[in-house]
Amino acid sequence: MSSALPLTDDDLNAYADGQVTPERARAIAALLEREPALAARVAEIRRVNALLRDALDPWLAEALPRELVDAAQAPRRGRRGARWAAWSTLAAAASLAVGVGLGWLLRGELLTEAGTPVTFQRQAAITHALYASDANRPVEIWANEEERLVRWLSKRLSFQLHAPNLNDVGFALVGGRLVAGNEKPGALFMYENADKQRISLLVRKDGEHSRETAFRYAQEDGVSVFYWIDDVCGYALSGNIDKAQLLSIARVAYGQIAASEAAPAAKP
Amino acid sequence: MSETLPDPDLLAALPRLRRYARVLTGDVNRADDLVQDTLARAWEKRRLWQAGSDLRAWLFTIMHNVHANQHSVRRREQAESSLDADHGPVAGWEIPVRASHDDRVELSEVLLLIARLPNDQREVLVLAAVEELRYDEIARVQGVPIGTVMSRLNRAREKLRRMSADRPAPLKVVR
Repeated sequence: MSSALPLTDDDLNAYADGQVTPERARAIAALLEREPALAARVAEIRRVNALLRDALDPWLAEALPRELVDAAQAPRRGRRGARWAAWSTLAAAASLAVGVGLGWLLRGELLTEAGTPVTFQRQAAITHALYASDANRPVEIWANEEERLVRWLSKRLSFQLHAPNLNDVGFALVGGRLVAGNEKPGALFMYENADKQRISLLVRKDGEHSRETAFRYAQEDGVSVFYWIDDVCGYALSGNIDKAQLLSIARVAYGQIAASEAAPAAKP
Repeated sequence: MSETLPDPDLLAALPRLRRYARVLTGDVNRADDLVQDTLARAWEKRRLWQAGSDLRAWLFTIMHNVHANQHSVRRREQAESSLDADHGPVAGWEIPVRASHDDRVELSEVLLLIARLPNDQREVLVLAAVEELRYDEIARVQGVPIGTVMSRLNRAREKLRRMSADRPAPLKVVR
């Protein structure tokens, strides 16, 4: 190699890690075209980065111990019990989700192990995978009849629903459908962005008033799910998109739902 | 200044905190204890968190400090036994993958390799490659100048390169 290399080790690392400005990246890429040995080093760094992520990412999908979830909540005296009640409501509802109503959904290949308990987040991921992949009939009622859709689903869930408007984050409402739940049905709202990527929001009414809210993340069969409970409902936002993006959309949805519950008469 | 931390963000950060704790401690159980201590400290120090700033980087910083304190206590306790930086944590690591046998070997190998890095270098590598933190954020997490981060990262990668060159098969990407 030439003795007057224009690139330092730091340049190569920062470039491989995507930590340089687009301008600098273009300049470095141009230099690398003339330095195959350096280009190979960059490729090697990126290969090892990908390998490390493959090795360590599965840890993110593990179930969180309840002690840690508890420790992540504000340590206010007297609140812990209430928060736990919220989580156990969700957990109880989740474990009940292996209902007869869901049975027909679970025939598919997605549920490979018979008898696997179906959690709320898993139900959300399965439901998303089933309908989001359906090019022609992902929903029962399309977004052009949004008002009718929301009215119908609200009636079936016995709860005033609100379909969040996600246009500001690039996702337009496709429509919605009723999905099987355990004792009560659930509502699914489907959204799509300009790249035809779909995300879906599953809403399920839980039995008791819990009035507690927390975000949790799960990955089920490659589908990312953020789920939370808000007052009497469980919500799960599922999609095959970047996790950070999904979280920011979940925040938007959460904020709108919270606002609509604060003012039930308000229209979106 | 912030009166409270955003619960949803804190919960969303939990899996990553757990993961980094495993990288720091090399032990699944000790890792969860470290996460718990970190969360407790975060709530104590919540007024120091700047609302709107990256909560995850702030939490990593707290975790780094909590771990460093505990580590130095442990080191004093075990003053007689020598700690060889080249034999970093590995014993408690599990390969948490649903993968074919070959993949598991591949993924185990990369974990074994990074386990042999000195702690500082392994931490920088994971924060840069896996957590994809910016170098200046990593510098804040470790409490060192950014130049130190760059040189640790470079040494970590040099060493990985040498170690994998000593092996019969090169590291391959899984998937």
